[in-house]
Amino acid sequence: MQRLAVDISNLSRSYREGNRSHPVIRNAEMQIQAGECVALLGRSGSGKSTLLNLIAGIDRPDSGEISIDGERITQLKEPALTLFRRRQIGFVYQFFNLIPTLTTRENIALPLELNNCSIATMPKKVAQMLEAVNLTERGDAYPDQLSGGEQQRVAIARALVHRPALVLADEPTGNLDQAAGENALDLMIALAREEQSSLLLVTHSLTVAQRADRILTLQQGQLSEQGAELAW
Amino acid sequence: MSRLLLISALRHLHRHPWQSWLSILGIALGVAVIVGVDLANQSARQAFLLSAESLTGKATHQIIGGPAGIPEDLYRELRIEQGLRQAAPIVEGLVKLGAENLQLIGVDPLAEENFRHLSGELAADAARRLFLEPASVLLSSITASRLGVAADDNLTVTIAGREVTLQVVDLLEGDNPAVLEGLLLADISTAQELLDSPGRLDRIDLILQPGQAERLADTLPPGLHLEVPASRTRVMMEMIDAFQINLAAMSLLAMLVGAFLIYNTMTFSVLRRRQLLATLRLLGVTRQALFRLLLLEAALMGLVGAGAGLVLGIFTAQYLVELVTRTINDLYFVLTVKQLIIQPVVLLKGFLVGVGVTLLAALAPAIEAAGTVPVSALRRSQLEQRVHRGLPWVGLLGIAALLLGWLLIAVSGNSLLAGFSGLFLIISGYSLLVPPGVALLSRLSNRTGKRRGLLVRFALRGIGANLSRTGLSIASLSVAVAATLGVSIMISSFRATVADWLAYTLRSDIYVSAVSSRASSSDATLLPETRQRIQALPEVAETSTGRRVTIQSRHGPVDLLVLDFASNTHEGFKFLEPPLADLWAGYQRGELLLTSEPYAYRHGLRTGDPIILDTLEGPLSLTIGGVFYDYGSDQGLIGLPASAYTRYWGDAAFATVGVILQPGVEPAAATSAIRQALEGFDQDLRIRSNREIRDYSIGIFDRTFAITQVLRLLAVGVAFIGVLSALMALQLERTREQAVLRATGFTPGQLSRLTLLQTSLMGLYAGLFSLPLGWLMSEVLIEVINRRAFGWSITTQLPVNAVFEALLLAVVAALLAGLYPAWRMSRVSPALALREE
Amino acid sequence: MPRFAWFIVLILLLSGCGNPAPETEQFQVAEALGGASDAGFARATNPREFLFPQDHGPHPEFRNEWWYLTGNLHAEDGRDFAYQATLFRIALQPEPIDSPSAWRSNQIWMGHAALSDLQAGKHTAFERFARQGAGLAGAESLPLRVWLEDWQLQQAGGTGVWKLQIPTEEFDLRLELKPASPIILQGDNGLSQKSRTPGNASYYYSIPRLTANGALSYRGETLRVNGQSWLDREWSTSALGPDQQGWDWFSLQLNDGRNLMFYQLRRKDGSVDPLSAGSLSDERGLRQHLRPEMIRLTPLKYWVSGNRRYPIEWRLELEGEPHPWRVSTRLADQEMRLSVTYWEGAVEVRQESSGDLLGKGYLEMTGYD
Repeated sequence: MQRLAVDISNLSRSYREGNRSHPVIRNAEMQIQAGECVALLGRSGSGKSTLLNLIAGIDRPDSGEISIDGERITQLKEPALTLFRRRQIGFVYQFFNLIPTLTTRENIALPLELNNCSIATMPKKVAQMLEAVNLTERGDAYPDQLSGGEQQRVAIARALVHRPALVLADEPTGNLDQAAGENALDLMIALAREEQSSLLLVTHSLTVAQRADRILTLQQGQLSEQGAELAW
Repeated sequence: MSRLLLISALRHLHRHPWQSWLSILGIALGVAVIVGVDLANQSARQAFLLSAESLTGKATHQIIGGPAGIPEDLYRELRIEQGLRQAAPIVEGLVKLGAENLQLIGVDPLAEENFRHLSGELAADAARRLFLEPASVLLSSITASRLGVAADDNLTVTIAGREVTLQVVDLLEGDNPAVLEGLLLADISTAQELLDSPGRLDRIDLILQPGQAERLADTLPPGLHLEVPASRTRVMMEMIDAFQINLAAMSLLAMLVGAFLIYNTMTFSVLRRRQLLATLRLLGVTRQALFRLLLLEAALMGLVGAGAGLVLGIFTAQYLVELVTRTINDLYFVLTVKQLIIQPVVLLKGFLVGVGVTLLAALAPAIEAAGTVPVSALRRSQLEQRVHRGLPWVGLLGIAALLLGWLLIAVSGNSLLAGFSGLFLIISGYSLLVPPGVALLSRLSNRTGKRRGLLVRFALRGIGANLSRTGLSIASLSVAVAATLGVSIMISSFRATVADWLAYTLRSDIYVSAVSSRASSSDATLLPETRQRIQALPEVAETSTGRRVTIQSRHGPVDLLVLDFASNTHEGFKFLEPPLADLWAGYQRGELLLTSEPYAYRHGLRTGDPIILDTLEGPLSLTIGGVFYDYGSDQGLIGLPASAYTRYWGDAAFATVGVILQPGVEPAAATSAIRQALEGFDQDLRIRSNREIRDYSIGIFDRTFAITQVLRLLAVGVAFIGVLSALMALQLERTREQAVLRATGFTPGQLSRLTLLQTSLMGLYAGLFSLPLGWLMSEVLIEVINRRAFGWSITTQLPVNAVFEALLLAVVAALLAGLYPAWRMSRVSPALALREE
Repeated sequence: MPRFAWFIVLILLLSGCGNPAPETEQFQVAEALGGASDAGFARATNPREFLFPQDHGPHPEFRNEWWYLTGNLHAEDGRDFAYQATLFRIALQPEPIDSPSAWRSNQIWMGHAALSDLQAGKHTAFERFARQGAGLAGAESLPLRVWLEDWQLQQAGGTGVWKLQIPTEEFDLRLELKPASPIILQGDNGLSQKSRTPGNASYYYSIPRLTANGALSYRGETLRVNGQSWLDREWSTSALGPDQQGWDWFSLQLNDGRNLMFYQLRRKDGSVDPLSAGSLSDERGLRQHLRPEMIRLTPLKYWVSGNRRYPIEWRLELEGEPHPWRVSTRLADQEMRLSVTYWEGAVEVRQESSGDLLGKGYLEMTGYD
């Protein structure tokens, strides 16, 4: 029996706009199995980012529960939430968001160091990860010396190096050309599988979504699991 | 703290060297000013204390004489008849060597063994020569080497206007040479001869057993006082307290401006890194860790800056100590400080203030950083909206600080420290009002700017749209400019007030005065016939006499201004409040006295209050007939007619004759007539015209404020660096935005002009905002600080050119700050700038 | 140790003068003081006519002069005390200096005073300095008054009685001293040769016995005291050759009425200088000059203080005296630890064989460093 990596029940979130309350997420339900790769498909403004923020513990729901790897993060307060995020969640973003003042190697090592990984094992893990994303040669380069694809591969390595329970990827290919995008996507899915991390892939591209085990769609704040064809 | 976070922070500092180094320079300058002033102040105090201590030696008590000194028979009587064997006689005076004052101390070496330890080993025959040879002295070795004098050399000096050649029989080494700086030690007989005061002592030092003091005090002849040296030293220290606190506060002003600079830099560095900080938060870096990281960065800059500031401060102090000493010499008492005493505690204090202020200034940005939401999508416009939403609160906080400052000043009575605290609150409060003010101003100017050209519209809008940065920069710049404006208004008002006072208070055309060789300057007097001789001259219409005498009272020394009026002398007094109706009649009868404003202020007295003075006949209570303006003594004066002084103190001598000339007589002609008339009198005197005295006094005034000017310039320097770094950061940060403009078709020239236009507009805003604050500061400096420190009132005069200077300073500083970014803008290719994230 | 360092120089200057035959150190200091030569000072080259009471007064034309009193006292309560009181005058140059300041002076005064409490075995000593002038110290004759601050020796007009007052921090001694013997001119009619060089001599006279009566305030009580004292007067401008080490100076008052003064000058080589001299007198006057070969002194017992080893007990063999005397003290530590350190204290004279007490006196020893 596999444990649920993500378990969302009855999740709602709305924002105030002037005097009106504008619901963004309505009674969402979602389960992701450990090691599963799920795509979240939705148009701009459908609430994808809000859902992502809620799962990452960056935003708070109005109601409902989110459990990640058995931990009910909706019950957690700062800084426990941050520490949980540090341990259990990895991020991959459209704009890479690497630390410009750290080298490739250091960027990848950062989550390990934040998680108090022992000094002895750290270089080995980083080297393995560098090799996995084919960047062994670029270990000492700074982000602004890398191409977009390379930067995204660093981001993927950084997201997975500490073997989080869940990797959140927000339009990971959005800023890359097709070849680089596919390459990154392949790597990410393969690595997530290898590390047994679940992967939530947020995208507006059906092509990308189809690489996942399962596709969820978000429309006007409502989450539904159906055939991609129906959604699109 | 994560190692990688640290590395990343360090690399950040390294990647923005301009900002980092300008901040460090700002901190360094701020610390340098504080340390410089503190070291100079402490050196002066320390030199004074050390020399007071070493000159006082082990004495537990001192007998201090009045204007006439102590008859030396008293010493013999104490020592022999009363058996007070622990007694040492002292004769003191001033010796002028060129422009420098040396202190001549005459002691009886044979009575010294229990008291002092001034010299080291002397040459074998030095003691013998001191006893036997006239004009033989010991000079402190440190002074000697400064003056290039060796043992056995001659030293030609002026004593009370007479030229005298001294024999330096040997050099004084002492345990601590600094103590002996500026000291001439002689046998007591030599000192009496040189100072022409046979039979007279200035002081008798005593070591008394408990109980002896009371008995002795009771049996002392009238006019003599028994004092504890420590209290005497304290009184003298208190004289310079106000002056030194003022200096320290001025140095804090520089640090305050420095603090703004740090705040500025740190805020920018947080703003620029908001994306990075958000990412770190996402990766699981806690708020606390970010907070610590930012503070660590600040601390690092603080450490480097403060360290450099210490070194700079020591250099500054070398220069400042001379200015401080000169002022103390001009205004208070003779003090020779040639050596900077570098006290570790002063350095430590400056260092801690530097680092502390840096951390404090970085606190708000660090909190801001810790509050970073771990979402990368926060747009710049949202930030600006947030800033705009916060503006009313910032404004309210500012108003609260202003009110608090005002309240503090209102309720704190005479406390100088509270006055300065209030001033700083007012400055801080006002600076908080600047960003809302800028928002308001830019909204207004946007409306009016619609009809202007594109570039102007762009520049105007840019200021309002980027308020998170522009507001800050403008606030810093206006505080800095206001500080210089406020100080400048204060000084020029003060100067004008003093000049005005000199003009009406000096009623005579020519003043003939005795030259003094005493530190207290109250001893030199003129021969009684002097006045008759002058009066008899056909050129002379009228004469008056004057003298300033320090008498001892139960409340410490009091300066008397003893005048024998001419018919117009009373016109030389202007009163704070209406004097008593029969003032002049009562004054001439010796029933009423006058007090100067500082005296009344210090002692909480008003017209009509009684003052008790110790006379030779015992205590005497006189009523204050009027409180007059006076800027000659911050300790205060009591005015008495010569007849009353003679009656109560048995001393008819005078030191100055004021001469009113017949109409049409030239002062120069009269001066030579007077000189001729007084020829053959064996006395040292100085004849000066009204004009010369006025110029001389204003000269002293300017010397006194030289140091304030220096501090003001240093504060301007810090402010300038602040503005430079703030505006540069602002412009560099907008590289991307400007690259877009370039890409859309702005020429490099246009872009440079835009940058310069914007910075100078900001300078102009800052200049405008600085004017009310500058005026406010000058008001506080004049009405609160100067009053509390020195007790006198100053008439505020708003100098138009100071206002223009302030505006010019702001604009020029801003313009200069825009030069580098403008130059860079025009060079950078838009593609490269666009690519830069 | 005096704190004031130039003071030390002064002490050096003065140190030689603390004793009846002090020329050695004085000479060194004179040199140290930058060749402050003897030039201009009067010198004791020939015997002179003494005139009293004038000569009790000062002789400022000579460099040094002193009034030197010692004595054994008996208090009303049975306790025995002894005292020394000396006023030294030292001229820094022969000519007085004309100055409007009363402090300018060519004369400096030093005083030494000591009290020996023989029962309690306690000895205290005090020292003072003052310049002549400003009323602090000085000497006048007719009537004689010599004073250093509140220490004072004076002669009541015409009576020949001396009055001494020595108030100190620990005791206050006030004595009336009535001469009980004539004035004895020491040496060659008062010219006491101290070295072979002419002029290195002093004028020296003594009143070997004065009856002392007075009061001693000491430790909270005031005691009536009486006893005998010895006055030495000496003035000179002399300096010696450098071969002398120190001296042992005896002033003994015997119960049979005889008074013996003898100073033994010790040379650096340990031998006795042939210029050592003394006198034997009684109530009628001088009986005999003493030359070194007439007296044999043998140290018997030593007392050590630091690196100084003082012979505090002596055998004294006097020519013509059938039995040797034993000169000893009841109080070993009567060392004067002042700017100059020397031993000056009360002694007793006993017949060595029988132990009978023959008299009392004072002994001064210097140069034992």
